[in-house]
Amino acid sequence: MHIGIGISTSRDHILAAKEATEAAQVNLGKKKIDAAIIFSTIDFAHPIVLKTISGILRDVPVFGASSLGIISDQGIKKYGLAVVLLAIQEDTYFNIACVKDISKKGALLSGKELGEKLLYGCKGVRRNLSIIFSDGLIPNGPELIFGLQEKLGRSFPLVGACASDNLTFEKTYLYFGGEVLTDAVCGILFGGKWNFGLGIQHGWKPLGKPRRVTKASGDVVDEIDNAPAAGIYEEYFAKSIPEFKKDLKRIAMLYPIGIKIPGEKEYLLRNAISVKNGGLLFQGDVPEGSTIRLMIGTKDSCLEAAALAAEEAKKNLGHHTMKFALIFNSASRLTLFGRHAYREIEVIKEKLGRNIPVIGIYTYAEQAPLSAINYLGKTYFQSHTVTILGIAG
Amino acid sequence: MNTEITIYSLLGCSIVIIALALLLLLKIKQARTWLSRAQALQKSLDEMDEQAKLIVRTDIELNKTQEELDKKIAGLYALQRFSRAVSTTLEENQIFSRIETGFLEDLGFEKALVFLWQEDKLPRNFLNIGYSEEGLKTVQSFIESNKELFAHLIRKEETASSISGFAVGKDQLNRILKVNSFIISPLSPREGNKGFLFVGTENTDIVITEGDEELIVILANQLGQALENARLFEKTWKAQQELEKKVDERTRELKNVLEEVKRISKRKTDFISSVSHELRTPLTSIKGYAAILLAGKLGNIPQEVRERLEKVNRHSDELVHMVNDLLDISRIEAGRVTMKQEPQDLQDIAEKVVDLLSLQAKEENVELKCAIAPDTRNILADHNQIERVFINLIGNALKFTPRGGKITIQSCRLEQNQVQVDITDTGCGIPPEAQEAIFEEFYRVDNAINQEVKGTGLGLALVKHIIEAHGGKIWVRSKIGAGSTFSFTLPLA
Repeated sequence: MHIGIGISTSRDHILAAKEATEAAQVNLGKKKIDAAIIFSTIDFAHPIVLKTISGILRDVPVFGASSLGIISDQGIKKYGLAVVLLAIQEDTYFNIACVKDISKKGALLSGKELGEKLLYGCKGVRRNLSIIFSDGLIPNGPELIFGLQEKLGRSFPLVGACASDNLTFEKTYLYFGGEVLTDAVCGILFGGKWNFGLGIQHGWKPLGKPRRVTKASGDVVDEIDNAPAAGIYEEYFAKSIPEFKKDLKRIAMLYPIGIKIPGEKEYLLRNAISVKNGGLLFQGDVPEGSTIRLMIGTKDSCLEAAALAAEEAKKNLGHHTMKFALIFNSASRLTLFGRHAYREIEVIKEKLGRNIPVIGIYTYAEQAPLSAINYLGKTYFQSHTVTILGIAG
Repeated sequence: MNTEITIYSLLGCSIVIIALALLLLLKIKQARTWLSRAQALQKSLDEMDEQAKLIVRTDIELNKTQEELDKKIAGLYALQRFSRAVSTTLEENQIFSRIETGFLEDLGFEKALVFLWQEDKLPRNFLNIGYSEEGLKTVQSFIESNKELFAHLIRKEETASSISGFAVGKDQLNRILKVNSFIISPLSPREGNKGFLFVGTENTDIVITEGDEELIVILANQLGQALENARLFEKTWKAQQELEKKVDERTRELKNVLEEVKRISKRKTDFISSVSHELRTPLTSIKGYAAILLAGKLGNIPQEVRERLEKVNRHSDELVHMVNDLLDISRIEAGRVTMKQEPQDLQDIAEKVVDLLSLQAKEENVELKCAIAPDTRNILADHNQIERVFINLIGNALKFTPRGGKITIQSCRLEQNQVQVDITDTGCGIPPEAQEAIFEEFYRVDNAINQEVKGTGLGLALVKHIIEAHGGKIWVRSKIGAGSTFSFTLPLA
């Protein structure tokens, strides 16, 4: 597989679309364009941008997501548009699909529908990997993955990113064809001879005593240790519920809840997004009876994790040469690193090799296996991770 | 037997009971130990949890401080970029177009407005970031209806914000300007319209600090400074334009006058030329008849008549000379005479003229010295015309140099392939006010010598025309009573 990346930060949206697409075409060379991934900050989430890109690329399938920032070789762009053109080798099968109206259909059914669409025409081909982008604000995100896994296989390698906005948590966007969508999921499935290496780490460490979820349903945790769930934050941060309600998003991004998963080395992290009748609403499910811990991350621990993830991605690729790397990095990490966010990308590039092009986005949640040592591990809906997908093609 | 069995049974039971009791005691002890260990563990867990709470609270404070620091640094960077962007333009309209969304975002805002107005006029919008046309209309009418409150803020040079409040009322302002936090800072350039800069954010997570206020005040001051510079530049530029316009007008007027002068001069030249031609014919006749009479071809003439005829003849010669000079000047002026510039020997020409005039010099006891430098001998000139130049200049020097005086002809080489010839006399000198005018036609210095010495006032004018036609220059340096030096330049061959 070959890649051509073009980035523009022009204030004129049409000009930006043209600039980024043409730069990507130049970087790809004369190879045939098979698909295009669009990453942009929400400023560019406009149909005119996609129509301009589609106008240039004609019949090439286009998909992508909005983000808080674009990760690239030129650093982190908090305003910009990236066009990633893919030239896929002939013996590789791929299929791109999209499912709309998730809230109407339900996350589980939408996941199944996407699985079916991705598998369409794929009979008899060895399936390899699926990359998906979903609305970052839909409830029951794990159900979507569950539905998808039902069709693709529970341990099928699945990597995904939840689109983000500029931390207002109001609207995130998906791009498919010439459309700008919300409440949707889109993805690509690769089959045939294809090699990739995956590395996932978060770097957050457990803090304080283990606690037990005593009453929960789906994304809502009502009680922890038989007391109102919100009490955990009240207790740790010495703030009353009305006080920390205002700061909850920021606090939860820095200090998420970690769920101990039997058989997994790492904790599965969950972001609390609101307080509901003394209970906590999480971005993702927290099963009743599970043991949880408050998690804390530092810049150093997260830098170490990023380096480890990059090393894992490289190692998992074996003897194959990495052509480029896709990075799905949690928006929480950007909040933690602040103006030092570039250091994380530097560390990743250092480990992958300076000559390996990288492109990625900041996400509200990631979908990836918890333990990346064996990439056939089960994919979880999680947050706070840096997910690095090294592709050899 | 039965009693024995019963005793044994009782004994056995007792032993079992004792053993069980002992076991129970042991278990109780063990349970107590475990309980105490569990309690200790629980206690240490609780202690650990308390420590964790302390760590978390310290960490969040650190993070908050770090975020504030990051925000401040990002703000300072934005301010620096902003400063660079606005300081590179001196056009008032360009200043606002250089304020990018990125600067604002780095300062923590996504909305910005600038309104400027003259005291008696309505506020005009110069910058709009984050508002639709409809939204801007609402804001505009709100500002118009509260103009006096904003004007007061500007007069007092005060900053209003979500922290310090505003006379309109924070809530009303937040509602109309669709923000959650805001800062308003006056723009008060010394000249022209004054107004204010408004920045705001809808983000409920952003809490405005005094540090933010300070940054926005700096930003507003820089904007005010940039406006002031642009207006000063505009003023200077307009003044310069005005000046250039005036200079153009004056140049045009002068050009017209020059054209008029040229036209008059041409008419004068044409007139002199035709009059001179007309004069030459009767003069020739007068001179011819006078010669016939003087030769006695028409019979003897009395002495008195002879004397009068000789005067007629001499005056006719002077008139012919004058007419010839006039004709030459008009020819040169009209461009009808082309200088035949050929390589000549300067020394030959000068010495020839010196020879010619040496007799006259001797009679008047004036020393005539010629010192032409060897490296200046080869000149490019019209032989006859340059000879006339020497005759005129040395002749003039002779006229005005008293007995026992000295006339020197010298030359030196100049840069740019030119030679300078200096003819110096020890004559009476020329007053400073006459030193330019003597090169004009018919000009004669008003002094006692000139009243005695005859001249047409055309010689120096002719010399000037000849030298200029060679591409050279002529000038004089003189001091009353200390003599004069006439200098001219000629091209070297």
